[in-house]
Amino acid sequence: MKKKPWGRRIGVAFILVWSLVPLYWALNISLQTDAQASSKPSNYLPPTPSFANFGALLSGNGDLAESIRQSATNIFIECASATVVTVILATLAAYAFARMKFRGRTVLFYGVLATMAFPAYTTLIPLYQILTNFGLVNTYLGIVLVYVSGFLPLATWILYNYMSSLPIALEEAGQIDGASRMQVLWHVVLPLARPGVISTAIITFLFAWGQFLFPLVLSSDLSTQPLTVVIAALEGRHLVPYTLLSAAGILALGVPAVIALILNRYIVSGLLAGSVK
Amino acid sequence: MTTVIRTKSASAAASPAPGGWSGGPGDMGRRRRLDFLPYALVTPLTLFIVCLALVPAGFTIVESFFRIQPLNPPDKFTGLGNFQALFSDDAITTSMGNTALYMVIGVTLSTGLAILMAVTLQKKFFGRSVLIAILILPWALPGVVEGIVWASIWDSNSGLLNSVLSSLHLIDHYIIFLGENRFLTILGIELVQVWQITPLSTLLILASLQNIPGELYEAADLDGSSPWSTFRRVTLPLARPGITVAMVQAIIATLNVFDQPYVLNGSASTGASLTMQTYFVSFQNLNFGEGYALSLLITLVTLLASFLVLKFVYRPVEF
Amino acid sequence: MRMKRNHLRAAALVAGLTCVSLLAAGCSSTSSGGSTQTKGVTITVALFGAPPPKASLAAFTKSTGITVKWSTIDWDSLQTKIAAASTSNTYFADATDVDWSRVGQEGKLGWFLPMENYINTKSLSGDMPQLSSFTYKGKVVGIPFDSSYLVTTVNKTMFAKAGITSMPTTIADYTKDLQQVKSSSVSSTPLNIPFSAAEGLSTYWYETTQAFGGTILNAADKPQFTSPNSGGYKAAQWMVDAIKSGLVPAGNINVADSQGQQTLMAKGVVASTFADYSGNVGSLYDVPSTSSVLKQVDYIPTPGVSGTADNVSNPDGIGIPKTAKYPAAAAKFIQWFTSAQNQADFAGASGPSKVMPGYFLPSRLTGLSKLTATGGLVDGTELATLLKTSKPVFPDGAPVWYPQFSNAVYTNLHAAATGSMTVDAAIKAIAQEATTLAAGQ
Repeated sequence: MKKKPWGRRIGVAFILVWSLVPLYWALNISLQTDAQASSKPSNYLPPTPSFANFGALLSGNGDLAESIRQSATNIFIECASATVVTVILATLAAYAFARMKFRGRTVLFYGVLATMAFPAYTTLIPLYQILTNFGLVNTYLGIVLVYVSGFLPLATWILYNYMSSLPIALEEAGQIDGASRMQVLWHVVLPLARPGVISTAIITFLFAWGQFLFPLVLSSDLSTQPLTVVIAALEGRHLVPYTLLSAAGILALGVPAVIALILNRYIVSGLLAGSVK
Repeated sequence: MTTVIRTKSASAAASPAPGGWSGGPGDMGRRRRLDFLPYALVTPLTLFIVCLALVPAGFTIVESFFRIQPLNPPDKFTGLGNFQALFSDDAITTSMGNTALYMVIGVTLSTGLAILMAVTLQKKFFGRSVLIAILILPWALPGVVEGIVWASIWDSNSGLLNSVLSSLHLIDHYIIFLGENRFLTILGIELVQVWQITPLSTLLILASLQNIPGELYEAADLDGSSPWSTFRRVTLPLARPGITVAMVQAIIATLNVFDQPYVLNGSASTGASLTMQTYFVSFQNLNFGEGYALSLLITLVTLLASFLVLKFVYRPVEF
Repeated sequence: MRMKRNHLRAAALVAGLTCVSLLAAGCSSTSSGGSTQTKGVTITVALFGAPPPKASLAAFTKSTGITVKWSTIDWDSLQTKIAAASTSNTYFADATDVDWSRVGQEGKLGWFLPMENYINTKSLSGDMPQLSSFTYKGKVVGIPFDSSYLVTTVNKTMFAKAGITSMPTTIADYTKDLQQVKSSSVSSTPLNIPFSAAEGLSTYWYETTQAFGGTILNAADKPQFTSPNSGGYKAAQWMVDAIKSGLVPAGNINVADSQGQQTLMAKGVVASTFADYSGNVGSLYDVPSTSSVLKQVDYIPTPGVSGTADNVSNPDGIGIPKTAKYPAAAAKFIQWFTSAQNQADFAGASGPSKVMPGYFLPSRLTGLSKLTATGGLVDGTELATLLKTSKPVFPDGAPVWYPQFSNAVYTNLHAAATGSMTVDAAIKAIAQEATTLAAGQ
């Protein structure tokens, strides 16, 4: 049966325009000087494109470039660690929620989800005080622990949904064959749930990538400050360097974009051709 | 071989699916192992949540009933005092209205757009991977940069949108999008947040869609179902779990919106949000008790809205 | 099995209780006293703005043995951090920002160590005119390290094009000149006022109030702007009338202070900003990468009621948080940081290699004279003259409840500018808030 892909073409066009127009605008601004950036009517293309902003952020040994490099390293370490820990713990817990009966399961499940409802500003001070007591302020460990506790509920929920929708017949078959629960998890469930696990990893990573308030308070200096805090610090007391900020924003897209490109063939597949055969 | 899809009714939607390993021979010998393993699997999660999420949350709840103002010691119990103060403050009640609007607009728009985008990406086609990577970029852009880029788009003196409309001769003088008309302001600000949160919703729904077996679509085709009908009868219902999670995330994000109104519209009453008020009350006025009370209100509304979504949108799905 | 379950439940309970008790311990813990050690220590300095040049900091380390770790955080976030760390009694820096507007609040809360315990503040007051507004009940909360103040800027080229060659000295003349600029089509919206509901609007109003001969609060923190004849009332009326009559671009209801200066004044869209920031000519309007009106903008003495008026000062200060690890070392740093020669160097007196980016105006009179002597400051003599007569917004220091008050100011003035409330209602609301706040103390 013939299928006209007009719907998809409109969809693709929409995705491109919706996502890229503001980003193009950021790129456009970043290639101009502040003097050119707010002209009326707007410059749709940079009149004299210049990479000066990017140069200032990346090259040389000035304080700016150093702080960008250091904070980029920090954010990558913090996000990657938080993602790995979160995904592992969430996978284990989601499997238990999805496939096992145990006392307190319902209460625990909804209790965990309910913690997502608390706004960040409320848990900020208590968390800060807890970390202070353990001497974890301004450490990677402290920040990662806070991130993990914040992202575990959503990660668990996504994986729970994913695992509970998998056909149970395969797992039962594995059990009848004599495999232990953990073996079934490792050999049967995880490969099937791989798209869910990778999606969860990407989502957790991106959430961590965008964090600002918690690292602002929990880091004291460049040894742990992530890129988001350093970019915000580019704003002066009375001067906002629009073009420099835009350039920094474009740079900050780099790592997530690469990760998404590498990983996303694992989150999308052809439609499952019926795995229960 | 037919694939069995079990979609449970709403009444069973509330608890985790009791799929499991119950009954049958060989179970007695396994019971000892069964009892221990689930607890071991959930213990790390529980420790994290109890220590780093529930304890601070409990703190919030308790302290919202106290007057805690470092400028006015000592701390003392005030019962509902903080809550009364909140509801008699015009700025805060206006923000409640604004935030409710943010939520309605934000959840509707982001979920609707996410469904459309997820469906577009559902089946394989050339360039899909790149498109997904592009789709994520709005989320990856640092908040402060998102603020200035969109401020530059909406700007009433020299912004992109005004520029384009003017070049197309659709307007003769620049429009003030933000700050004059309350509804337009909230719409404009929320659109920026929708731009930021839709990638998450799309990923969540897309993950849900990936599970749907191709055979269902083949079957629908054989039945002569139109694309719209297939979408309504096959895709949407089976994407409910993903849509639920996306909606709950959107509820949380929109009820907690802060950066976008702050950068785009300052603290004006036309767009001030509840989280902005929480920030002022706690960190500028140093009235922490009231700040916790406001946060507790936000939490309760979030839980209520999420509960409604869980009740009416969620259906557990198994293939 | 039952035993195992009980064990697990007990374990969870213990874990929970441990966390709670740790948290409780955290609440009651006090910070350990700071060390008097100075040699060989590393201090963290948290400020907005880029650090002094590496060579200068290295020279400081060489002569004192103190290593400086600089942490740059934008102003808004820095205030959040100061509040979070101070209420949690947590160390985050040995020296950090003390804003003129927070002196009352931070002073009352004891968030900063009294500077007079560490340096001879009495001998400073002659050289630093603004030191008195950094004092709370006799204690010096911080040392002003720059002398930022509000000043009127005019694009003289645009004024000249409209036929105005001598600068106005009264507000009446100033307004007439603006109307002339508008009617001669040099600019259809010649005046910049940032009406976005943000702090910049409040400070603009303070400057305009002072120009109209009024004050904001008296020594007893009572509002002084409620009568229609008062400076504050007239200032609010003048500002709102300006946007309603088209002297100010209509889109300015959403323009913040720096935005207006960078995107309007520096682009020649407007011809004057009544309350601009000192230093902007050298750092913004005469810099090719940020301005389209090079060498066109100058400072003028602020027009007042019957002659020129004094300017309102909004300096930035540096202080030692109570949780500092090395207060003595921090004090040494502050002394170095605010020394006359360094201030002059940071602003450009000894050439670009010693410049601290973003620093424009020394807080010491001796520092300023060093700077103007080398001609390193654009319009330096003018700035120095105006600095001598600049006055703090609140002569007795900012009130403890300043942030709430300022919030009332900018949200109500913004509402008046959008037309959703009258100027009279706005003034009443601001005054009401001030009265309530003062009574609550």
